[in-house]
Amino acid sequence: MNINTPIEEREFKIVGKSVKRDDVLEKVTGEAEYTGDVKLAGMLHGKIKRAAIAHARIKSIDVSKALAYPGVKAVLTHENVPRVLHYGSPHPRSASCTKDQYILDDKVRFWGEGVAAIAATSEEIADEALDLIEVEYEALPAVFEPEDAALPGAPLIHDVGPGGNLVLDPVRVNRGDVEAGFAQADFILEGTFSGGRPHPAYMEPNVCIADWDGSNKLTFWTSTQSSFMVRGILAEVLGLPLTKVRVLVDHMGGGFGAKQDCFQHEFLCALLAKETRRPVKMEFTRHETFVAGRARHPCRIWLKQGFKNDGTLVARDMKLVYDSGAYGSHGPGVTIVGTTAATSLYRCENVRLEGRCLYTNTPINGAFRGYGVVQSYYPLDIQMDEAAERLGMDPAELKLKNVVRAGDIAPSGHPIVGHGLEICLQHGIDVLDWKSIRNRDRTPDPKRPHIRKGWGTGCEMHGSSAYPGIKEQGNATVKVNEDGTVTLLTGAAGLGTGAHTALAQIVAEELGVRFEDVGVIHGDTDVVPWDIGAFASHTTYLVGTAAKMAATKVRASVLERAAMKLQVKAEELDLTDGQVFVTAEPGRFMSVAEAMGPSRGIPAANIVANGTYEPTKSYSFAAHFTEVDVDMETGIVEVKRVVPVHDIGRVIHPIAAQGQIEGGIQQGIGHTLTEDYIIDKKTGRSLNAGLVDYKMPLSMDMPDIETIILEAAPDPGGPWGAKGVGEDPIIAIGPSIANAIYDAIGVRFHHYPITPEDILKALREKGA
Amino acid sequence: MRRFDYHRADTLEQASRLLTDLGDDTFLFNGGTDLLVEIRERLRRVRNVVDIKGIPGLSDIIYDETRGLTFGALVTVGRLERLALVRERYPNLRDALASLGSIQVRNRATVVGNVCRASPSADTIPPLIADGAFIHIYSRTNMRVVPLAEFFTGPGKTVLAKGEIVTGITVPPAGDNSGKAYIKHGRRKAMELSTVGVAVSLSMDDGVCSDIRIALGAVGATVLRAPAAEAMLRGTRLDAATVKSAADKAMEECTPISNVRASADYRRDMVGVLTGRAINQALEASA
Repeated sequence: MNINTPIEEREFKIVGKSVKRDDVLEKVTGEAEYTGDVKLAGMLHGKIKRAAIAHARIKSIDVSKALAYPGVKAVLTHENVPRVLHYGSPHPRSASCTKDQYILDDKVRFWGEGVAAIAATSEEIADEALDLIEVEYEALPAVFEPEDAALPGAPLIHDVGPGGNLVLDPVRVNRGDVEAGFAQADFILEGTFSGGRPHPAYMEPNVCIADWDGSNKLTFWTSTQSSFMVRGILAEVLGLPLTKVRVLVDHMGGGFGAKQDCFQHEFLCALLAKETRRPVKMEFTRHETFVAGRARHPCRIWLKQGFKNDGTLVARDMKLVYDSGAYGSHGPGVTIVGTTAATSLYRCENVRLEGRCLYTNTPINGAFRGYGVVQSYYPLDIQMDEAAERLGMDPAELKLKNVVRAGDIAPSGHPIVGHGLEICLQHGIDVLDWKSIRNRDRTPDPKRPHIRKGWGTGCEMHGSSAYPGIKEQGNATVKVNEDGTVTLLTGAAGLGTGAHTALAQIVAEELGVRFEDVGVIHGDTDVVPWDIGAFASHTTYLVGTAAKMAATKVRASVLERAAMKLQVKAEELDLTDGQVFVTAEPGRFMSVAEAMGPSRGIPAANIVANGTYEPTKSYSFAAHFTEVDVDMETGIVEVKRVVPVHDIGRVIHPIAAQGQIEGGIQQGIGHTLTEDYIIDKKTGRSLNAGLVDYKMPLSMDMPDIETIILEAAPDPGGPWGAKGVGEDPIIAIGPSIANAIYDAIGVRFHHYPITPEDILKALREKGA
Repeated sequence: MRRFDYHRADTLEQASRLLTDLGDDTFLFNGGTDLLVEIRERLRRVRNVVDIKGIPGLSDIIYDETRGLTFGALVTVGRLERLALVRERYPNLRDALASLGSIQVRNRATVVGNVCRASPSADTIPPLIADGAFIHIYSRTNMRVVPLAEFFTGPGKTVLAKGEIVTGITVPPAGDNSGKAYIKHGRRKAMELSTVGVAVSLSMDDGVCSDIRIALGAVGATVLRAPAAEAMLRGTRLDAATVKSAADKAMEECTPISNVRASADYRRDMVGVLTGRAINQALEASA
């Protein structure tokens, strides 16, 4: 990894260093406690009966045999759970969702939806008793594709929402005059594109444990990215005040966005525990994470753009259709974010966008890294390569000419502050000697005559917050203890990204103490300040700034306290490495512990401060340069080498940032080449709902990734200019692979995943 | 996971009796890497498992120049994979072993278990068939030895009668000037089930192919031989044109189905591509 820092503002002691994460030791020794490790006395195990039909009305459910089965303690169906219509995605400040879910309904909307739940003394007994529940269905006509769902007369999946199976009213964005733009164009490119349904495949399947105490308070352990949202919606649906719901989450095995819904099993677990007055644990099988977890929205996109002969983009007309699956979940957010994102990336003054999102009788799609933008930037980037070919230009040069610049209006409606994309592209072109790659000898290797090599580029930009869709708020509380150590309380979840380490680094740097002296308390909604959830690439940017604000305040208090003890003015003092000293007389100092601690006649100090930050938007940028091998006989595409050049502003923890980039690339290779749900078009059943036949690339498939992180475009909204990195890498890799395949074999693909069979079929059609 | 009863056998006779007496839904429990997953995924209904890992004499690996390599039912994939002898004399088998599951799975799974599961896509079967392996079968009344190519009767089905237990496999020795190859085709490089697997074992005599066996995995109800393609190659110098026509012939000889892993057409195409590549790889190795 190479971090290129052209700007120098100050010297950092902790920020910008790959300090040892405080959770590594317990993780490698297996001692870190995940939700699934929690065991409570008398704990029951819950299981969900899932429908083997995609669209139906439940005529009857007979649970008598299941209830009589030895070890079964409770069975819930739509007949005995509260009937409360609620959101699947409980983003508290987003007005874009329709309440469309019941805990259990008398209607089934996708194959695999839960229709009943059992609590039993063991997981095996609960599992066995599932077969004893007898459900009689009245089958309803089902739709599995958004095109079919949009047809007049298509079966309606919900009776709420705008109607016609729309999840929300169409999102329309107009800038400039598209018709006038096309009139100026020297040539027009038009194409249809589509994207599959990749699954985030977080390592830790969804799991929760519910326990009610004697005061009717619910304690709820769950693997969630947004514990306060889970608390809020559980309280709302169960009719409890927030004081009666405590949500706990310690370590997590990933989420990638998908663990920010409030899931059906979470309500059912709480209700089973309430019914039995015993703790209940519910843990998904891997199969269940596919049918009842969340995946990326499949899409159909039509894109028409007008270009001048000098490469200027003069008009963009785009229609996007997202497939929400059976419920709204993040459909509205994904549609809005994905559609509006297409105003940008490559500058164009005349833009007309229309985004739709439709219900289908398929598993629910939700938030997933790259939130709608993976879908919408894939066509934008590929069509740029097509335009370059038409113009006889190098695609990278054409992209360089058209990428957004500082001051351009971003999708959020704000002028872009940092101007990182041009720098990323140029840097990659220079580092790789891109011209020589373009002009290389293309004769196949005589030892592997069936292999063709190709190189492609892909660009992306992504916000470090969900603004303006959601007005976020980051909170942090920082306490200084009497021994000089510091405690940070944060609601930000620890998905495994190292977010808590970054936050501790920020506090230590700002306050002037050692990194090792900062402890982080998180994951207990009764203790930590309110948090919106860990998503939108915003934790470091948003909560990091809040933590820095709180640290600024406690630093001032520590200096006041030391000033009293040293009998100087606070302004005369400085604080680094846990030592307070007189700036003009460094020999006069005392440790933070001495400043904080009690001395004769003076009790220990109690220094606590809160930071609250409500950001707008910043953007991170990346250009990916990707080399592939295509086997002309088998159609197998192997990604050999990726040079991702990212601008993420100030880097807090280089290795963690690099890890995000490498992981995003790996995940993006998956959805571009191998990963997709295979859903039976007749029944709606997911045929590859498991890790055997859902093909994620593994370590052996990983290419050489030479990460370059630029700190060229810091954003004033983040701590010392830091921006997000979580989602960015998964966006640019896809089009870079598709463009590299074209470079290798001269065939354009407008969809993902691009399978070996697609490659062979296209080669045959081309007559190769 | 559904509950099942666990039985441990100390002798083959005891194991055989348990298999007979406990009735349907009773299965031998060896490495367990397939069986336990199938129970958990509800792919197989199991009431009883009979653990044979404690039976003495089933862990041996014996090699002699005339009879070849014999390994017992408890020999793990990993153990065989790491043997220098296997690497040197049975490189096709070694490649198949090394491509099966993960290191952890290979250290638990047994070769005989992989064979007896009788999956058409099992990696170890094509090289063993191409090498002309025999399978040793115990029953309480007699022992029998069956050519592996005749062992399978369908997906998951074998000639084993109730109470019969496979005790080991013998692979004949590799002759001079022999060459072997196994090419596995899947979507990723590890932890993968074969979309197509092709094994070739051949012998060259003064530049002429004196014998060749081609075994095709995942393109039929069992692992298949390609006898017509083999016949086209025997007695030739394996020049490019002959290899190409034999590979085309192998495409005609296979009977693939379409499933979530690949279409039948794609599998057939891959038989053509991989048969050609495997013959050339084996030919190169014979030199």
